[in-house]
Amino acid sequence: MQRRSTVAVTGTLVLALGLAACGSGGGSGSETTGGDEATDFSGETLTVWIMEGTNPDADAFFDEVTAAFEEETGADLQIEFQPWASAHDKFTTAIAGGTTPDVAEVGTTWTGEFADVGALADLSDRIAEAGLEDDLVPGLVESATLDGGVYGMPWYAGVRSVVYRADLFEAAGIEAPTSWDELVAAADALKAANPEIIPFPVAGDSQYGAMPFIWGAGGDLAVQDGDTWTSEVSSPESVEGLEFYTGLATEHGFSTAAATTWKETDLLAAFEQGQVGMMISGSWTPGKIVSDVPDMEGKIGAFPIPGQTEGLSDSFLGGSHLGVFEASEKQDLAWTFVEMMTTGEFAEAWGQQSGYFPGQTSLLEKVIEEDDPMVAPFAQQMVEAGRSVPVTPLYGQIQGKKTLETMLQSILSGSATVQEAADTAAADMDETFGS
Amino acid sequence: MSAAVVDTPTAAPAGQTLRARPRRPGVAAAKTVGLVALLAFSLFPAYWMFSSAIDPQAATRGARLLPAGVTWDNFVSVIDDGGFGHYLRNSVLVALGTVLASSVVALLAAVAVSRFRFRFRKSMLVLILMVQMVPLEALVIPLFLQMRNLNMLNSLLGLTIVYLAFALPFAIWTLRGFVAAVPVELEEAAYLDGASWGRMFWKILVPLVAPGVVATSVFSFITAWNEFIFALTFLQQSSKYTVPIGLQKFFGENTTDWGAVMAASTIITLPVLVFFVLVQRNLSSGLTAGSVKG
Amino acid sequence: MADLRAAPGASLDPAAPADRPTSGTAPTGGTRRRRAGGLGHRSPLRPWLLLAPGLVVLGVLLLWPLVRVVLLSLQDYGLRQIASGESNWVGLQNYADILGDSYLWTTVLPNTVLFALACVVLTVALGTAVALFLNTLGGFWRGVGATAIMVAWAVPAITGTYVWVWIFDPLNGLVASVLEGVGAIEPGTVNWFTERLSFYAIATLNVVHHGFPFVAITVLAGLMTIPNELHEAAKVDGASAWRRFWSITAPILRPVFAVVTILSTIWDFKVFTQIYLMPGGNGGNKDVFNLGVWSYIESFAQGKYGMGSAIAVLLTLILLGITLVYMRTLFKEEEL
Repeated sequence: MQRRSTVAVTGTLVLALGLAACGSGGGSGSETTGGDEATDFSGETLTVWIMEGTNPDADAFFDEVTAAFEEETGADLQIEFQPWASAHDKFTTAIAGGTTPDVAEVGTTWTGEFADVGALADLSDRIAEAGLEDDLVPGLVESATLDGGVYGMPWYAGVRSVVYRADLFEAAGIEAPTSWDELVAAADALKAANPEIIPFPVAGDSQYGAMPFIWGAGGDLAVQDGDTWTSEVSSPESVEGLEFYTGLATEHGFSTAAATTWKETDLLAAFEQGQVGMMISGSWTPGKIVSDVPDMEGKIGAFPIPGQTEGLSDSFLGGSHLGVFEASEKQDLAWTFVEMMTTGEFAEAWGQQSGYFPGQTSLLEKVIEEDDPMVAPFAQQMVEAGRSVPVTPLYGQIQGKKTLETMLQSILSGSATVQEAADTAAADMDETFGS
Repeated sequence: MSAAVVDTPTAAPAGQTLRARPRRPGVAAAKTVGLVALLAFSLFPAYWMFSSAIDPQAATRGARLLPAGVTWDNFVSVIDDGGFGHYLRNSVLVALGTVLASSVVALLAAVAVSRFRFRFRKSMLVLILMVQMVPLEALVIPLFLQMRNLNMLNSLLGLTIVYLAFALPFAIWTLRGFVAAVPVELEEAAYLDGASWGRMFWKILVPLVAPGVVATSVFSFITAWNEFIFALTFLQQSSKYTVPIGLQKFFGENTTDWGAVMAASTIITLPVLVFFVLVQRNLSSGLTAGSVKG
Repeated sequence: MADLRAAPGASLDPAAPADRPTSGTAPTGGTRRRRAGGLGHRSPLRPWLLLAPGLVVLGVLLLWPLVRVVLLSLQDYGLRQIASGESNWVGLQNYADILGDSYLWTTVLPNTVLFALACVVLTVALGTAVALFLNTLGGFWRGVGATAIMVAWAVPAITGTYVWVWIFDPLNGLVASVLEGVGAIEPGTVNWFTERLSFYAIATLNVVHHGFPFVAITVLAGLMTIPNELHEAAKVDGASAWRRFWSITAPILRPVFAVVTILSTIWDFKVFTQIYLMPGGNGGNKDVFNLGVWSYIESFAQGKYGMGSAIAVLLTLILLGITLVYMRTLFKEEEL
């Protein structure tokens, strides 16, 4: 027993020095024999994939995490940072080749897809055991749930609300709008006082900008009936919402021709150049604006997206989960890491450093209590009006096809009416849902 | 036979007109204008890239022709936090490996295809070109599985071999043309003089096809240097990543760090230029009067 | 060795059919002839031995994956199949879906063909012109010029595309502000990226700018193999520069033109990044799809690898066909 143990430990040490293909999925690494000591994993290495760019101080952060992890479990951490842009490809080839890591950060819109093919482990039992069932942000849990199982641990979330030029609002005596009519009035007043400003650009390449208005009018993207999904974007309510949203550009002239092809990054760039009055933007942007353009400090504000007549319009709740790969042979160790990252001090620190919200409700409430004016509106949006897109891998295909963006751009460029574009989009979506 | 190999066209043999001086002053002026236009056209985007990299307000540049200031912070952060030191080293290894391997393999293949007539010669040529025709994205998973089976994943060597395969079609086709342009008589004469095939190869053939080797090595270098998707999927450890992967790091999911992107791009551009400056000395005429007249 | 001297243009011109035996390796009596099989008295294995390293690399690395691509193209292969490793045969359904998509024929292919045509013609013309120009310069300035155009090639395609996109930004770009200064338009009112023609004009500029150095360097290398006295002799005979180009330079450079044109065509057909990164080019504007973007959106972006493989097979066959057409019509077969 002793000799086998030593051999196993040495073996894993050697492997951990990176002689084999990285990624412990399946082939590499032999586990220490048995789970005799559930909390002592000395000699093992956990491979983790984290997405690049969320936290500017990620390196220092993970140094601390590695040290704490080693202290708690005796095991080593190997963190590999992946660029977002091609992360999906990387996951796919890893799944294909059996080189998946133990734990990975998975975008909320991917979790369902990977869970559906059995790549991710069901964490619901572990969550219940840890007593965290009621302490997780519902929107994030929703996007990780498939057929009753929870396949991703909520880690951090972001939500989109309206970021605006508080200085311009104040100068023109405008209040943050609380309904769609007030929104139009605010944009009108803004334009009157500042003719060169684009009051409310409608970014054609931003699907998440349109969703609040579809949802706010009572419409939806798609509904599930048993096992099948059907598109709802051409329903009267959805079309009403779309008409309002695109009407801001086509009827009221609050936008600009350039915005027809703008992604969110372009919208942000225009705002940073001082050309935009209000924009639908994420909770992570105020920090970035101020760091890119220090002059803007104190001049920007945020308010949650107003409802059609009252309340708030739902806004897409995005973010990331931490998923444990089914093929990993270190499930216990992986869960220890996941729990460490998503709850308690590390989750809190990550939220602060990255500008996103933690996935643990108690932590989120702490953030809300701080009542930071740049954070509170987003927190309110998230808690009261955060929503996820249809949780089905088929919706991932629809996003890949850019159905919503196509719809928006054809309306904004004038090549289709709202109803026509919505009908085309709905037909497109139904084709995918039906396949 | 060494008299046959002279490598500078401007050293005019006796009897030739010295062409160093243009006949009309207008020609010199026209050439200057042409060169300036060429430089301006070629360098403008690179200028924009570099000036954005040193611009402290890169994100809000708009139409400003000059940067708002000069800051090296982007470069510092790209090399330090961005880890570009490692990426550069890895990329250089892979690229140089590809250049060396492709030059040798392609030259041998080019000699085979242009000096010999054998069955399937033309089919071979077209088949070799097929490599370039297949869209890369379709090859990712199958090639990934193949490399996994060959145990060549997560290794720079494996990546080099893949890039070799991508660079070979152009290299073989181009060098074939250059080899074909070398008169057989020169080789024959070498054999008559008692030289072995090896000697003939090095002393006669290689110097004469040197410009072709330059063109294909530049192509191989750039192919290996800028390739992204296979590098990303084959390499499992970030310590082995190459520069194109490094560049992607700065494109976040919702935001982009433009200053860093431009600084990283500048860093990516430079080694290619260095490589070119080193090899382009060979981009000169190898075939002159001496070798033809004997 | 004096009797080895052939008339100018004869021994050096691989294009001249008279010099080239069509088959056979036996040396004939005339030493003036280029005996392409001149070394044939060595073993017939020799060419294969020389080819071996190249073929081994290509075969081992790519043959099996290519076979797999064909096999995948006959399946409905998504993430589920990837994860489970199971097959999911659907026969030629993928091909039927692709070829049956009218959008492919009405928009995607025309865009692709016209775009590729424009890019290839401009790239080869500009590259050749630049190569000829550089050839007239002395060593130092030629080096400067060559290095400058290398910069255009060396800048990563992603970065170059973003730079051009910024320059043409409808609101804040250089072009917009220049036009505003001239009084032509009001910035922000015209979005060049939404109209197909202006979109592709900008894309062509981008692709040609990035691609002409490849042609220029390769053609320049080819020009280096033409001895000066050919031109001198022609000049003495009174030939103009234009005539000299077509009678001397172009024929000798035929193989070089062949390879740069074919490769440029192949690449320009497959252009993806430069279109995808442009505003609206990533799938939002259906009018501007080209084959590269369309195939990505229809397949890989949706996780449909079987479909993507089918498109890859079709595209390869198309390009193979184009190559053969090129070889037969534009470039006489004997040269290759």
